Amino acid sequence: MKWTDNLENFPYPFKGSTYRYSNNSVPMKKPFCIEVTPDYLEEMKLKRDLLTHHPERCYQSLPHTLTGQWEIVELVMDHLAEQYPNQFSLEKKGRQWRFHNKILEEKHDFTFGDETTLPDEPLAFISKHVQEDLIFMMQRDGDLFLDAGQLCFPANWSLAFNLGMKFKSIHHPIPGFKEEGLDDRILQFLMRLEAGNPWERKNWSLMAGDRLDTSLETFDQWGKLRKQVTKKNAGELVHIRVEVQKLFRLPRTNGILFTIHTHLLSLEKLASNPEWLKQFYEILSELPPHITDYKGISLYKNEVLEYLCEQLESGKVL
Amino acid sequence: MRKAIFVSGKRKYLFCGAQEGMKLLFAVIERVKEEGHPYEIVVIDDIQESLQLSDFLKKQKMGTYLYVALSHTELKRVEKTAEEAGLTEEETQFIGYGEELKRIFCCRCHGINEAKNFEEEILCNQCGLELSVSDHYSVYHNAVLGYVAKL
Repeated sequence: MKWTDNLENFPYPFKGSTYRYSNNSVPMKKPFCIEVTPDYLEEMKLKRDLLTHHPERCYQSLPHTLTGQWEIVELVMDHLAEQYPNQFSLEKKGRQWRFHNKILEEKHDFTFGDETTLPDEPLAFISKHVQEDLIFMMQRDGDLFLDAGQLCFPANWSLAFNLGMKFKSIHHPIPGFKEEGLDDRILQFLMRLEAGNPWERKNWSLMAGDRLDTSLETFDQWGKLRKQVTKKNAGELVHIRVEVQKLFRLPRTNGILFTIHTHLLSLEKLASNPEWLKQFYEILSELPPHITDYKGISLYKNEVLEYLCEQLESGKVL
Repeated sequence: MRKAIFVSGKRKYLFCGAQEGMKLLFAVIERVKEEGHPYEIVVIDDIQESLQLSDFLKKQKMGTYLYVALSHTELKRVEKTAEEAGLTEEETQFIGYGEELKRIFCCRCHGINEAKNFEEEILCNQCGLELSVSDHYSVYHNAVLGYVAKL
C-alpha cells in the first residue's frame, strides 16, 4: 500500500523560491473542516487499528472537554452530510440523531449530549469517521490549551506529552519560533479567530519512508530510514509530507477545532511536475540549517538535492 | 542556571535566600541600593525560617517584587509558599542552585523517570530506551520530554 496522493489532488504547499516559518493562514473558500479523498477506506482502517492498539498514543482528553467534544461531533457531522450527501447522512429529531456513514455501512442512533448513547467519547467516536486528526484547544486566562485530541498521523510529536499544554509551550521546540516573536503573533491571531470565519494553512516536511503514523513514540523505528537515503533511492523513498490544517472557532465553548489532513507524495511524483521540481530544488537548496534540523531533513538533505539536481539536468526541465 | 534580572519600577524589593543564594542576588541587590529603592533582605538558613516566610509574605503590600535564591530542593517549597501568599509569576523570580531532580517523560512508553539536572542522557527505567533529556517542559506532567538519543 502506498500512501501517496495523485498529483492533481496534492495540496502543493510552496510559493516563491524561499521558505521561512510564518503564519501562512488564509480564510477558507469552502468552509468545511473535513475532506474525503480516494484513500478514505484504507486510511480509516489504519486509523481504527491504531486507535484500538495504541489508544494512549492516539487519543487523549481532559474531563472538562465534553461539551466541546459534542460541538465537534455536530460540526463534523453537519459538514460530512452537507458536502458528501451520497456518502453520509444525518437526521436530527430533537436530540435524537441518526448518523449514517454509507462508505463504511455504519448507522449510529444516539442522543445528542448524552455520552452513554455513544460507543466512545464524542471526539473519539467522530474521529473514526474522518481521515483528519482532530485537536481541540480551549481558551482561558488569555491562552490556548491542548485539552483533547485524536492524533494518529502526527509529524513526529506526542499528543500524550502535549496534553494540557499552553500554545507557546507546545511550540517551544521549534528553533527561531520564539526569537522571531512568531509564537506570540500566531497565538494572538488564533485567539481572535471568529466563529463562522474558518482559516486554513499548509505545513510541510520531508520524510524517509511513506508511513502516515510517524508518531514520536515510534520514532526509534521509522527514523532509521533517514540513514538509508541515497541519491539513487531518494525519488522512491523520500516523501514530501503536507498537512492541510483547518481552524474553526466553536461558539458554545469558545474553543478551537484544529483539523489536520496529512498527504504524502513521493519525490519521484513531485519531480514529474517540472515547475514543482524546479521550485522545490530552489527552496531546499536555500533552506537554513535551523529549519532543516527541525524538519528532520539534515541527515539526507544532500542526497535529496543531488537527486533533484539530476532530475533537473536529465533534460526534463530546462 | 537562571540569572536574577533587575526589574525596574517596583514599590519594594524583597530578597530571600540562604547565604549561598545571596551571592546569586548580589548584583541585583547592589543595583537596588544604588538607585535608592526600598528593599528588605531575609536570610533563610533553616527550615523553620522558611516556614515563617508564609506569614511574612502575606503581609507584603501590592507592588512588592520578590527574589528567592535557594537550593533547588528548598526552592520548590518556597515557590509554593509565595504562590499561596498571592504572588504571581510577574512579581517573582526564583533562582535555584545545586543538584536538582528532574522528571523525564519517555517519548516511547510515556514512563516517568527521575534524573539529576546535569544528566543529558538516561536509560528509561521502564522500556530501556536511551533518552536524550530536552528542555521541553510540560506543566501537566511536571516533566521534560526525553527524545530518542540514538537512531
